[in-house]
Amino acid sequence: METLEWLKIIVGSAFLLCGVVIFFTEIFGVFHFKYVLNRMHAAAMGDTLGITSCLIGLMIFSGFNYTTLKILLIIIFLWFASPVSSHVLSRLEVATNENLSEHCEIYEDLTILEQELACSETAESRKEEQS
Amino acid sequence: MSKKRPSEEYHKTFAYHFFRWLSGEKDPYLGNLEMKPQPEYKTDSALQLRHEKEHDAILDKVYDTEHNKVLKLFHRLYHATSILFCLFLMALLLVTISHLPATGAAQKPVNNEVAGRYIEKGLEETGAVNIVAGMILDYRAFDTLGESHVLFVATITVLILLRLDKNKKGELSSLAKDMNPNDRVYEPKNDAILQLVATFLVPIIIIFGIYIILNGHLGPGGGFSGGAVIGAGLILYLNAFGFQKTERFFTEKTYKWICFFSLSFYCLAKSYSFFTGANHLHSIIPKGTPGAILSGGLILPLNIAVGLVVACTMYAFYAMFRKGGF
Amino acid sequence: MIYHTIYITMLILLSFMLLACLIRAVRGPLIADRLVAVNMMGTMVMVIIAVLALMLKEGYLVDICLIYAMISFLAVVVLSKVYIGIYEEKHHQKESHINDTIKEEMSDGNP
Repeated sequence: METLEWLKIIVGSAFLLCGVVIFFTEIFGVFHFKYVLNRMHAAAMGDTLGITSCLIGLMIFSGFNYTTLKILLIIIFLWFASPVSSHVLSRLEVATNENLSEHCEIYEDLTILEQELACSETAESRKEEQS
Repeated sequence: MSKKRPSEEYHKTFAYHFFRWLSGEKDPYLGNLEMKPQPEYKTDSALQLRHEKEHDAILDKVYDTEHNKVLKLFHRLYHATSILFCLFLMALLLVTISHLPATGAAQKPVNNEVAGRYIEKGLEETGAVNIVAGMILDYRAFDTLGESHVLFVATITVLILLRLDKNKKGELSSLAKDMNPNDRVYEPKNDAILQLVATFLVPIIIIFGIYIILNGHLGPGGGFSGGAVIGAGLILYLNAFGFQKTERFFTEKTYKWICFFSLSFYCLAKSYSFFTGANHLHSIIPKGTPGAILSGGLILPLNIAVGLVVACTMYAFYAMFRKGGF
Repeated sequence: MIYHTIYITMLILLSFMLLACLIRAVRGPLIADRLVAVNMMGTMVMVIIAVLALMLKEGYLVDICLIYAMISFLAVVVLSKVYIGIYEEKHHQKESHINDTIKEEMSDGNP
């Protein structure tokens, strides 16, 4: 059964390595971007996907246990809770920032946004017909 | 069938006077001492506004650091003195500690035979696999009774300080109405995403808290941490849905009865030590096999009682600081 | 032996990233920056606790991980709600003060 042991180590380490790389990307993104809403993109990605990869790697390391089930419960709880905290944080940012027009585009009237989207869709369909 | 007394006869009896005094309708000093009835305190809002504006103007002038040189000097002196004082305190405490006997030395009062007895015979005498839970809820259960009462007294104190009293008709007094204590007017309410997720997550959190309480004697956890988790679940529900919906199932009466029953149960179970002193009472509840949930004698019910008190305390503190009552 | 080295490497890497999050929390000019950084720190601490649970072979440390997730989520929700309330209240007070001063000026102008 040594190959099974080695397989466990390799697959688990691969997942852990993925998780660490995603965390590193998240931190790099949080430092690189200029505005808060962009940083939140990076942070939310790391919080859900990074921790999931790490925890799946740890689940493979621990084998068939009650500990594995508990880690699965953590993953499910985080997938429900982390996007909601990102949503609530972005609401806070939009409500309290005074220079929001420098950070992102604000549409006072949503019909303007719909018109822009409709124009871009017609432009894309025309390009497809030509090519 | 007994006869109902006419009201003039009833007004002369002792029982009528006693109940009137008890409920507070009749003031025994009114008309007896030389005191006139006090009118209710009414505020003049224009006068109060002028006072506030004068107060703000004075404060602005005093704390204007650019033109007030004495204040600048004071600020710098204050920072320097505070750093020096902290360093002095640190040095004093470190010197004191260096004179204490080393850890594990034989002459320390902590190293007596009690710790050895607890570790060696803890499992067979209490029946709990978690020695710490066995210690705080079996060997030293009387101290934990005091701890639960401390939580209760803390909540009552905060309630006395922060509650906004209403008179008999259910209105706030005019002073409280002028102060406008509702500072939650501008908060975002009824966030749809948060409500949807809260309907799914709050039961999970509460079940997890109950799991921690029930496994207090088998692993780390117990009443205090489990109660804190249940309190956190209730706070999440309150944040997602607002006060009106939470008051459907958690009012002041609920808090009162839960705390009363938990603390009285704990009292009745463990306050015999007032009378017996150090001589234990032999407990009738069997200890069971260690490792099962229904083991450890009285530890499981006491854990549940402590957990309920802690959960109510956490929710009560949050609600009182946000709303001034619950 | 291999497991031990893998766990210790993970712990060292994660602790360095935790320090970097702390720098972001101290530096960030707005409130939302700091809340994001604290949330990230909570997530990394969760992974550290899970790794420790497997390293010391104690299964109950994973419960603490779950409690950490709950508490950090709850903290973010409550804090953002309170901050939005305070900001809007100050905003309304300022606007009402400005309106009052404008009305006073207009009434002073007309004797």
